[in-house]
Amino acid sequence: MLPALSILFLVGVIPLFTVVNHSLHDIFTLPEKYWVGGEWYQEIISSSRFWHSLGRSTFFSLIVLSIQIPLGIFIALALPRRGVLVSVCLVITALPLLLPWNIIPGIWLSLINPETGIVGRLMQSAGIILDWKFNAVHTWIVIVMLDVWHWTSLVVILCYSSLSTIALPYYQAAAIDAASRLQVFRYIQFPRMRSVLLMVLLLRFMDSFMIYTEAFRINAGGPHFATHFLAIDLAEEINAFNYGPAAARSVVYFLMVLCVAWAFKTALFASEKQKVR
Amino acid sequence: MIKPATTYRAILVTLFLACVLLPFVQVLTLSLQATREHPGVLIGDFSWVNYQNIWLRPELRASIINSILYVLLNIALSIPVALPAAYAFSRYRFMGDQHLFLMFIAFRITPPIVLSLPLFQLFAQLNLINSVAGIALAHCLFNIPITIWILQGFIDAVPREVDESAFIDGYSLPRFFLKILIPMIKPGIGVAAFFCFMFSWIEVVFARILTVTSGKPISMAINALFGFTTDMGLIMAMTIVSLLPGLVLIFFVRHHLSRGFQIGKM
Repeated sequence: MLPALSILFLVGVIPLFTVVNHSLHDIFTLPEKYWVGGEWYQEIISSSRFWHSLGRSTFFSLIVLSIQIPLGIFIALALPRRGVLVSVCLVITALPLLLPWNIIPGIWLSLINPETGIVGRLMQSAGIILDWKFNAVHTWIVIVMLDVWHWTSLVVILCYSSLSTIALPYYQAAAIDAASRLQVFRYIQFPRMRSVLLMVLLLRFMDSFMIYTEAFRINAGGPHFATHFLAIDLAEEINAFNYGPAAARSVVYFLMVLCVAWAFKTALFASEKQKVR
Repeated sequence: MIKPATTYRAILVTLFLACVLLPFVQVLTLSLQATREHPGVLIGDFSWVNYQNIWLRPELRASIINSILYVLLNIALSIPVALPAAYAFSRYRFMGDQHLFLMFIAFRITPPIVLSLPLFQLFAQLNLINSVAGIALAHCLFNIPITIWILQGFIDAVPREVDESAFIDGYSLPRFFLKILIPMIKPGIGVAAFFCFMFSWIEVVFARILTVTSGKPISMAINALFGFTTDMGLIMAMTIVSLLPGLVLIFFVRHHLSRGFQIGKM
């Protein structure tokens, strides 16, 4: 336990305290600091831009989760259980997970490029014009598609792995009782997936909530801030060397993270207790 | 017994796999085309020129090696460190275990960008900027929690009696780990290594902020290729190359991935 804690202390706890410290100062250059107390926090909380970004990020997470998780479960249920095909399917499914995040937007932009991309050419011949540069709705569609493509695989793999722990007799018993497909899902498969689903929900929620690389690459938060998410705000502050406000923002985000983590832990322990009963 | 549902399921799965593969088809075709003029090849021609260029450009070769190095280092760091912790979570109830658990989740889901600035300052003082070790250490932030989770699931599956009889036979704790526990949870270690690999390989924010002048990973090398006269073919070829190590690894753990592990059981 000790070694794990000491590394996490170095890369986690120390930077966290530094951030909190920075967030209370006005910093021109690092050695010159002025104590400003809660000023940055007030500024953030009172700025409409922060609330708009928060709204956008929440909305984005909701859309992405409501597509990815049902789709992922659906696919995981449909994947074959035995045979050679299992490996093939899983390997293909895992492919998008192995790409560095900053490459994915590039791939998608070339895919929807009307001159060279496969989808782009198809859409052009069908008369659909995807104006992702200037049309906010289209930018949203592209980013959501991209995230769904990238991360549904994680949902599929984790759900599938928990499904495969269900022994055959359960299904046989269900067949004897003439249980419907829905009942099998409700009483056998879903309970088994619950803890994994919580985990997936947590990972996916946080990652989509703090989406940065992919969204930034597609349209740099544009057009007109329509895809300006929380993490993009923060990155802008850092790039402008506004250490104080950036740090304050980081602390605010970390508090959000902590709330989510706490909610997750509570939910997890509650479901554990139910299982014991 | 063939149900009508089986065909419908097969169609669904095929459709999904096709959607997953579609962008890769695009990448592959572009990577096998000359998208800019090179000596002896015309634009649009089929050629291996992009792959040759990767081999010829030292900074691209170096970036591949850098990436592989820090990912391996990260795995080598995460697993030995996480193993005892996972064992403790699995076997003992102790004071504050719930709080520790909360801390682990919090660190796993903290977006790297939140900690990037202070981490940069800290590592600058420790002389870890531009080094492979720096990135590997930074990635431990989210990989150690994940590894603990996965390994704990596997250790939970090992009956307690195994430990007890080993201790009665006079095994010390380290020797018990080496001789009995590790061989028993080998698949778990494989799966954990795969997830470490995955999350470390694709992470961009730390990898960028911690490499200022040298030690660039593969993702940053691809970034640098975007410019005024972007050679799309080269970028796509690089993308394919960046997939290969992952494919090799996933091939090794493919059975264990599907054999199932229960995460989140604390």
